[in-house]
Amino acid sequence: MKILIVEDEPDLLAGLARGLREEEYAVDTAADGEEGLYKASNSDYDAIVLDVLLPRLDGWMVLERLREKKKTPVLMLTARDAARDRVRGLDAGADDYMAKPFDFGELLARLRALIRRSAGLTRNRILLGAVAIDTASRQVTRGGEPVPLTAREYALVEFLALHRGEVVTRSDLYEHLFDENDSTLSNLLDVHVSNIRKKLGADFIVTRRGFGYCIE
Amino acid sequence: MKFLQSIRWRLQLWHGLLLGLVLAGFGFTGWRLEWANRLRAVDQALDERISVVAGVLPHGPSGGEQPREGRRNPDRPPPRQDIQEDSPPQDGPPQDQPEMGERPAERKIVLSAHDSGFFDGTSGGAYYYTVWLPGERLLSRSDWAPAAVPLPGREAGPRGSRVRGTVRESYHFTPQGFCVLVGRDISEELAGMRRLGLLFAGAGGAVFLLGLAGGWWISMRALRPIGEISATASKIAHGDLAQRIPTAGAGSELRELAGVLNETFTRLQAAFARQAQFTADAAHELRTPVSVVLTETQTVLARERSAAEYRASLEACQRSAQRMRRLTENLLALARLDSGEAAASRDSCDLAEIVGGVVDMLRPLAAERQLSFDLGLQAVSCKGSAEQLGRAVTNLVTNAIHYNRSGGSVRVTLEARPGSAVLSVADTGQGIAPEDIPHVFERFYRADRARSNPSGRTGLGLAITKAIVEAHGGTIGVVSEPGAGSTFTVCLPLDPQGQDTGAAAPTGS
Repeated sequence: MKILIVEDEPDLLAGLARGLREEEYAVDTAADGEEGLYKASNSDYDAIVLDVLLPRLDGWMVLERLREKKKTPVLMLTARDAARDRVRGLDAGADDYMAKPFDFGELLARLRALIRRSAGLTRNRILLGAVAIDTASRQVTRGGEPVPLTAREYALVEFLALHRGEVVTRSDLYEHLFDENDSTLSNLLDVHVSNIRKKLGADFIVTRRGFGYCIE
Repeated sequence: MKFLQSIRWRLQLWHGLLLGLVLAGFGFTGWRLEWANRLRAVDQALDERISVVAGVLPHGPSGGEQPREGRRNPDRPPPRQDIQEDSPPQDGPPQDQPEMGERPAERKIVLSAHDSGFFDGTSGGAYYYTVWLPGERLLSRSDWAPAAVPLPGREAGPRGSRVRGTVRESYHFTPQGFCVLVGRDISEELAGMRRLGLLFAGAGGAVFLLGLAGGWWISMRALRPIGEISATASKIAHGDLAQRIPTAGAGSELRELAGVLNETFTRLQAAFARQAQFTADAAHELRTPVSVVLTETQTVLARERSAAEYRASLEACQRSAQRMRRLTENLLALARLDSGEAAASRDSCDLAEIVGGVVDMLRPLAAERQLSFDLGLQAVSCKGSAEQLGRAVTNLVTNAIHYNRSGGSVRVTLEARPGSAVLSVADTGQGIAPEDIPHVFERFYRADRARSNPSGRTGLGLAITKAIVEAHGGTIGVVSEPGAGSTFTVCLPLDPQGQDTGAAAPTGS
């Protein structure tokens, strides 16, 4: 899962990015509205954490212009929490709204909910035959037995599971699993897929030659 | 008697009282006039009859002509025996002269057929007459006369009239000494007057009630705007500051009052809004550093870290804490300035020394950004608090450093002009956009958000500077040329004492 954080307070931006990366999200950051809009428009994020008061282009404008192109779930993060600000934010196309100061755990839960909803799920548990994925505890079980996955492997399984039945291209996977700081090797994905197949079964992930991967 | 406190009730009371008095006065006067009119008509008829009766009397106790048109009763000649004067009888010696002191027999005065018609009840009302001889002896009574008619007194003059029970009587003492009294029962007139009185009372009562109702309506209409004013004021008192008193339809005096009140409410609302905005802004400014501390601590404490990571996190927390400290200090300073505490200290202070000190203190900061100072300081002193003035100058110079381009310069000049000390701080930075100029002294207003937060500015510096300058009776202004820099100019009133002008102490950097 890849998340974009647009926040102009450097300490907050750094803290959020670190916290989300430690939760195995791929995290891109932007320190002002223009940069944020550019990144959000040119990449497919699973969710965007958007501050309202931003230099150059404020959060409202970023949201307005982003909504012309993309439906990426947006969580507005702002220091204003008057009801009319929340209404304005939600009406402008924000999917959720959090007032500063916020609890980091709550932010994580809301992000999970946003991603889950955008995938059309209502619960944190995804069942794929004998394999169950709990997106809250980031646990994968097979026949009730926990299967140890690395963070990248889990992210790959979760992303494919959220897009169950769809063929996900390699570039999509790179886009959503690696952030701008990762050095991505072209065969890294094949290594992860092969490892997952060893742990969850050879036919858990289907390869569509020339297209990508799929969980059926 | 709480309702007596009510203006409406008091108006109504006075209105009712006055209306009642006027109505009663009019009614009573009208009734009296009517009564007098009727009496006059009765008296006229009575007087006519008096002259008829008096006409048949002898013209005087000393003899006279025969009664006009009258025929003396042959059996009862006019009594002469009780006339004290020795006047000769006109019709021969009286035949039935009684003894002295003997009660004379009543006699009928013989009236002509025409005249007797006056007393037979056919000419409207039962008239009667009674005639006394001089000496209070009864001479004659008409048929209808009541049995005991007292002789009227002569005190009121020879002519007079009186009301006795339900009769009206007019009397006339003839020059000859007779007393002719003609009376009439006026119970009909009295009954008429009673009816009239009742009518007047009824009509008056109706008018009174109408008047009261009208007065109530008028006072209600007149006082309704007051009710509206108080209703609106109480809504405002309960927190609905957007309420205004409707001014349409009110009288001009009340409209004026409502206008004044509305204006006051508007100013109050603006003051409350400013206060609320200020509080919201202050809370807003605190939210971000608190978020940093929360996020840092929550994420860092989630697992074991290296010492370097802990250090970095603590540094972030420290930065946020410092920012909160600056913010609270500035908020406190503003609150003190708002409450007028600043005006307390009024010592003479050397502005040049203050400005010089500030510049020296900020040299390291300027050096960091490769900025040079360009000073032109005249020795000027003004009255005020050196600490606060220093703070104001610090804010201006710090701004000039922060919003400067690298390698630029900060020019600080201080000169004495007639009556005022003029400090100007000019930078060579980006300048301020024209649309931002009117707002730069507003609290929490930051023209350039891109460079605001990282430098730890609170957005209160210029607001505090302005408050300090104004508390010292001065003014502050800014001119800016986008791309070339901004110049802030502060004018402070000179200290009347201890001006040693001309002692310029220019220093450069």
